[in-house]
Amino acid sequence: MRRTAAGRPAGPQVLEADGIQVAFAGRQVLANIYLRVQTGQIVGLLGRNGSGKSVLLQTIFGARAVADASVRVNGQRVVPAFRRPGLLNYLPQGPLLPPSLPLHQAARMLRVDLNAATARFPELRPQFDCRIGELSGGSARLLQTLLLLHADTAFSLFDEPFSGVMPVHVETLAEEMQRLKQRKGLLLTDHRHAEVLPICDVIYLLHQGRLVKLEGNVREQLRDFGYLAQ
Amino acid sequence: MAFLITQLRAVGLFYRGVAPFMLGISGLILAAVLLPALQEGWGRGLLPGLLLTKLATAPVVWYLWEQLRPGQYWFYFNLGVSRRRLWSGVVALDGLVFLGGVVAMRAGVA
Repeated sequence: MRRTAAGRPAGPQVLEADGIQVAFAGRQVLANIYLRVQTGQIVGLLGRNGSGKSVLLQTIFGARAVADASVRVNGQRVVPAFRRPGLLNYLPQGPLLPPSLPLHQAARMLRVDLNAATARFPELRPQFDCRIGELSGGSARLLQTLLLLHADTAFSLFDEPFSGVMPVHVETLAEEMQRLKQRKGLLLTDHRHAEVLPICDVIYLLHQGRLVKLEGNVREQLRDFGYLAQ
Repeated sequence: MAFLITQLRAVGLFYRGVAPFMLGISGLILAAVLLPALQEGWGRGLLPGLLLTKLATAPVVWYLWEQLRPGQYWFYFNLGVSRRRLWSGVVALDGLVFLGGVVAMRAGVA
């Protein structure tokens, strides 16, 4: 079987998650979720605040242990998924990198070519020697997203990658995501729906603990579910 | 091999973060117990007890770390390193550093 440099099988891969049920203080946050992402796709996950988007991403990633949760790649169970080299990475809502770690060192550990990752963001280059805590919030967010986007994994899970990033960079980052989806699958959640909707091949909405796959007129359905204003 | 090296680097990086807690405890044990014992000439059989005491403080450091810096694991997870592996590595590394401190202190007093 042909494999990539990161040791994962070459060719299309399908990530599926189901059986995920999570409750907090008696409130069912996630119930009987089924989600599917394949390489070559950008999948958008929308939902109101507190609907469980981050919990779902963390459960798929494997950082949150959920009984009966099943995460599979090409039908093979991978729990916790983050332990499988080259399979997936995850951008949390909060900081990703330890505050004392210089960017160039983080890139080396993630095996990412920082020059290639920032090729379309030349203004970020003078910051390679900085620690993440020394950067502005938007630059830090963008750099952390680029590191994971360019890492050699089959899938990337992004929790609010556009948050705090200035509009011109959001546009370029969205283009980068579309370019890089040729070799990986992206699952992202972000409230900037105007940027998210055009780049996504599939849209899911988390609504009252259930995952609804939206097809057809997505905006109209988002209004019907109360995610967008009428 | 590259994966193993990355994991070792990750443990080293994580240890740098928890070192202020762990080295502080080591310093306290060495300065408050071992040094007076060596100076008074009864420190020979103390090592197993000191090492056990040192190991027993690891859960305290773990608890403090979880309370003070709960979101510090994401980078390590992205390197494929679990919490358990990080803390096992850190405890082993810190044990070695502690033993090194004991040896150095014995040599210094002798």
